[in-house]
This record gives sequence, C-alpha cells and structure tokens, in this order.
Amino acid sequence: MTTTLTTAPAPAEAGQRPGALAPRGDRRRRVLLRLLSLAVLYVLWEITARVTENPTFIPSPAAVWHQLIVTSTVHDGVRGYSGHLLIEHLGVSLRRILIGSAIGVGVGLVAGVVMGTVSWIRVVAEPVVTFVRALPPLAYFSLFIIWFGIDETPKLWLLSIAAMPPVAVATASAVFSAPTGLVEAARALGAGRWEVTRDVVLPSALPEIFTGIRLAVGIAYSSVVAAETINGVPGIGGMVRDAQRYSQTDVVVLGLFAIGLSGLLIDALLRTAENRLIPWRGRA
Amino acid sequence: MSSADAIELDGVEHSYGDVTAVGPVDLTVPEGEFLVLVGASGCGKSTLLRLIAGFEQPTRGTVLADDKPPVPGRGAGIVFQQPRLFPWKTVGGNVALALKYAGQSTDRVESLLERVGLHDVAHRRIWQISGGQQQRVAIARAIAVENPLLLLDEPFAALDALTRERLQEDLRQVSAATGRTSVFVTHSVDEAVFLGSRVVVLSARPGRVVLDLPIDLPRSEIAPDELRGLPAYAALRSEIGHAVRAAANLEGSSV
Repeated sequence: MTTTLTTAPAPAEAGQRPGALAPRGDRRRRVLLRLLSLAVLYVLWEITARVTENPTFIPSPAAVWHQLIVTSTVHDGVRGYSGHLLIEHLGVSLRRILIGSAIGVGVGLVAGVVMGTVSWIRVVAEPVVTFVRALPPLAYFSLFIIWFGIDETPKLWLLSIAAMPPVAVATASAVFSAPTGLVEAARALGAGRWEVTRDVVLPSALPEIFTGIRLAVGIAYSSVVAAETINGVPGIGGMVRDAQRYSQTDVVVLGLFAIGLSGLLIDALLRTAENRLIPWRGRA
Repeated sequence: MSSADAIELDGVEHSYGDVTAVGPVDLTVPEGEFLVLVGASGCGKSTLLRLIAGFEQPTRGTVLADDKPPVPGRGAGIVFQQPRLFPWKTVGGNVALALKYAGQSTDRVESLLERVGLHDVAHRRIWQISGGQQQRVAIARAIAVENPLLLLDEPFAALDALTRERLQEDLRQVSAATGRTSVFVTHSVDEAVFLGSRVVVLSARPGRVVLDLPIDLPRSEIAPDELRGLPAYAALRSEIGHAVRAAANLEGSSV
C-alpha cells in the first residue's frame, strides 16, 4: 500500500549548520579585523625592536625575515641551518608529530572504548591515564632516553605518550555516556552488543573523540620541542635548541613562527576533516 | 494464553525502587488487534509498553509476547515518542539498518519510505527533513521487518496538530495493510478513538485497567473527517474521556 499524502517540506534552511553561513559582509569584516590585528602586532614588534636596540633580546621583523631566507636556501656552500633547510627541519618534526600522534590516538581510542564499556577496567585505568596526563613530557623523556637511547625511538615514545591521554579520556567519557535513547532504538531493531557499539556508541562518540584528537595533536605539537632537545637536528625543536645555545634569537623566533603557523594549518585541516566526517555535529 | 493471543499480561506489576508504577494488570491482546492504552501523564502506560517490548522486567507477574517472554529486537517493531533516528545515517540508511539486522536485503528501503508517504528523501540527512517526516521514517524503520507486533509510545505527541492528524491517518492505513498486532500509548482520547480497535484506560499511578472498551467504527468505509463526525465517535470519545478524567481524579477538566 502506498499513501499519496504529500508531506510538508522541511524548512529551506534545515540543511545548514547553525551559524555556518555568516553573511558575506560579516566574513569580509572578520578577515579585515584579523589583517588589521596582524598589522598592529607587526608595528608594535617593529617599534619594540627599534626602541630596545638589542637584537639578542628582541630581533627585528627584518632580521627574522632574513633568517627565513638564509635557513631556506643554500648560501656560501652552507645548506640552511645546521646543514638542513628550514622546510626539512619542519618536515622531520611534522613526521615525528604525525607518527607519535597516530600511535597515541590509536592506543587512546582502544583504551577509551574499553574504559567506556567495561566498568572495572575504567576503575583501574582512569587514575593511570590521569596520572600520565598530569606529567610534563620532559619528566618522562629522561626515562625514555635511558631506555631507548637518543635516536628516533624515545622521541616517538614521548609524543605517543603525550598524545594518548586526551583521546582516551574523551573516548571513554563519550562511550560511557552514549545516548540511551539511541542505544535502545538499535536494540529494538535487533542489534546485538557489537552492533550497538559499532553502529551507535562509536558514531555518537565521534564528536568528542575528534575534540580529543585535536587536543592530542596540539599536545604532541607542543611536546615536539621537548622531544628534540636531545639529538633533535634535523627537527624544528632541535633548530630552536641549537639557536638558543648560540643566542641566535632571530632563528629562535623564526622556529616559533614555523611551529605556530604549521600548527594552525594542521588544526585547520583537522577541523575540515571533522566537518566532513561529522556533518551532524550541532545539528542533531 | 490462547493461540490467537499475541500478548498476555498476567498479574503484572512493575516498581521503580519503592514506587509501584504499574499494576497489577491482567490483559490479553488478540492477534491483529489495534490496542490503545490511554491514561494521564505518569500513570505507567509507557512502562507497560516497555514491559511488553522487553526493555523492563516485571517485578511481579508474567509478560508473554508470542508465547515467550519478550526480548527487545525480537518480534516487535517499536516507535518511540522521539524519532530516535541515527543522525550519522541518511534517511534511507536508518531504514536499511533495520533490514540489515534482520539479515534482509535493503532493496525495499524506497518502498518502505513510500508506504509512510515519503518520496525522494532516502539520500537526505535527518536534519534536512521536518519533525513529522522524521517520525514517518521512524515508523518505516519499525515496520521494515515483518514482526508480528508493532509498539508505539506516544509517537505523535511532540508534533503539531495538523501533522499529527495526517500521521494518524497514515498509521491507520499502514496498520490495516499490514494487519499486525499493535499497541499504541497515548494521552489523547481523540487519538485513541480514531486509531484503536480497542481502548484500555489506565488509572493514576500505579496504573491499573479501569476501562476496557472495544471500538467498533466503520473505519474502512468512510473518510477520516466523516469518521470523526459520527455520533458514535463522539459518544465513545465522551465515555473514554470521562473514564480518563475519573481515573486521574481530574473530573471537570478536559483531557
């Protein structure tokens, strides 16, 4: 049997995320405001550098720009900084962050799902995860150096351990508080325990898991400098560490800019992935 | 329980801690009947439905559905007060999931959606359709698998009056077409008379049966508006309304 009833159409704006579409004028104003704030910061930096007249304390924007050119090219037979171009330093650090975050996120996800579904494991594991989360990465880096030497292994361990707790905590919390209404709806359709976990618990936890992943990548990012303090060249943290030893403040500032800007880029990529993978966030 | 009974409740009571929500209730629902449970808010009618669905176990007495203690997901399609659709699935994906769990082909998704009056929405996201359309999807999902029972817990309560009437008419047609045993919970007397082949009125908490009335109206022969205009319809509405108000100690108010 087919009914011929015509249902009322959904509101035209129903497909839009609330607040996702700012009027074009608003967007232009926002961009202008950001550009203006950057210009003001630049002017303040320039003035401070000129007033202090101490490039070791505050290098001028021009000096940092010069270092960008120097570290990005081969000049007088010298390749970039410490034998590596800036992009190579950054690339090695990003690779470490990527591998460390991937391991941390993977382990955190599994740990979070298990903690969220098995209550006795949550009771045992929660204080351990919180304990690890409270430790500053440098505190356990020394231990990893003793255990694994000074090559890549301790750096990847450091980044993995630093990235794991935010994902584990976010996943465990989201899995534990999966919406009972939807779990019941799936059970009413005949879903078993595994199907409920796969089709309801995990998808409903995705928004919080993604927040955990963004936090984890952020923590791995801020820990990379610590991970590269020993035998960190090539690596952006190693470059900053070496520049600090020789009081090359302009290189230090350049390294900070490289870390900060690439961090912004990665976060924007993660946010784009989040919007694509979780289109229902904030709408259902 | 006779072989023609789809549901049997024998001395059923259910308590939440020290509070008895329902019972004792004795009730049998023959196969193919459209039973409507009516009562004021908090009288335990939703609890009774959850007992029949198998989501709750009775504190006392026995519940049998198809001669067995009910288990969620086996033998009954359920529509809740909120659509409870999965936002990470498309409209079609929500209906397909029911077929998938039952090990059936998902080819019927479009025809199931058309059966509840939805056309060309299978690919849409659930936030791209209205509340009424979402509840239609929930009904399509509940009837996707040919279960002998259909349980509905105030499915139209959150909808506007016009959408509610349209959905009532559609549900009536779907129910007549599938012929499965249905239990519908509502606090609306009009909805009960319009949909039910039998209406059971529950008392205030703990819910007990205070009126058990067969509804004999010529549904298949006349249009919904004509049905609502029949003197017999008004008389049934009045009788049930009186019973609901008396049961809830609300005599003098309108339910």
